[in-house]
Amino acid sequence: MIHLGRTTKKRALLLGCALFCVLATYGLAIAGGHGGGHDDARTVDLIYRFINFAFLVIILVVVLKKTNAFGFLAKRREEIRQEMEDLKRRKEAAERRYKELEQKFKEFEVQRAQILEQYKAEGLAEKEKIIAEAKERARQILAQADRTIEREILEAGARLKRQVVEAAAERAREIISAKLDDNDQDNLIKDFIERVEKLH
Amino acid sequence: MIGSKISKRYAKALLSIGREDGNYEEYGKNLREFADFCTSSPEFYRVISSRIYSGEERGGVLDWALEKSGFAPVVKNFLRLLLEKNRIGAIAEIADYYEKLTDEIANIARAEIITARPIKEDTLGRVKQALTGLTSQDVKVQIREDASLIGGIIVKIGDLVLDGSVRAQLEGLKESLKRGEYT
Repeated sequence: MIHLGRTTKKRALLLGCALFCVLATYGLAIAGGHGGGHDDARTVDLIYRFINFAFLVIILVVVLKKTNAFGFLAKRREEIRQEMEDLKRRKEAAERRYKELEQKFKEFEVQRAQILEQYKAEGLAEKEKIIAEAKERARQILAQADRTIEREILEAGARLKRQVVEAAAERAREIISAKLDDNDQDNLIKDFIERVEKLH
Repeated sequence: MIGSKISKRYAKALLSIGREDGNYEEYGKNLREFADFCTSSPEFYRVISSRIYSGEERGGVLDWALEKSGFAPVVKNFLRLLLEKNRIGAIAEIADYYEKLTDEIANIARAEIITARPIKEDTLGRVKQALTGLTSQDVKVQIREDASLIGGIIVKIGDLVLDGSVRAQLEGLKESLKRGEYT
């Protein structure tokens, strides 16, 4: 989009008026040419058209000079050239930036791949470690369970033995209590006396 | 512990007097009789040993009992002293220790025999003879029955305990079985 200043607008308006006058003159000339003979008329018409064209050119040149259209165009060309150079520099800068970013992106990709590899390696090591620990823990639990079972079996055996002994002793006490008489008591005391006498 | 020490002091003091006048055995019997009376008459014992009552009231009750007794004057005065010093409550302990002291003087050992069944006289005599041989002292026995022994006897002389009961033998057998000595 090209923005026109106030002076530029005036010049464009003047140029338009001049063009309008030329076109009007040209039209009158064409209208005047229809009254003569056929060949002469065509020649005259050609001359008029030529003159008319010459005027048109002159007027155009004058008008263009008056309105400084050449300067405007030159300035405009210069602006466009500068804009092109500017755009070129910006393009180059953008391309450099693009290359930098592309390089960084490549580096980032490399780093990303390295980080991923590192994480994979660490994850693998951690996995191995966890598995090893879990195996060791499982081994310990099994060993502990074995020891617990052995202990429980021993305790159960001892408990059963105690119960059997208690029951046997209780049964023996009942039998002895039922069958022991005065003679047995005398014999027991006699044994006691003998043992005491051995202590003398 | 403190009360025990004080009781021993009182018992030794009375024994000292008794040995001087040669009547320590009589004093011991009087003390034992009074201690047994206190045990069999808890109301009397409560009155003379409780500080709820005044000294005069307690003294009056004690004098009333002593007048009816045939105790030696020394023993009567000793009991009045105990009342005055508020030690009459330890009379049983004092009497026990006095007996122990007199037993030592007379070379007597007191034995407690615990039996599951009544013991015949001749059997008891043989037991006493055996214990006399063991302690080299004249043995006086006190018999107590305990059916839980099942059979046999237990003899206690001072700190010495001789267990000849069936219960002890069964316990020993039981412990041996538990230790697996018969497996």
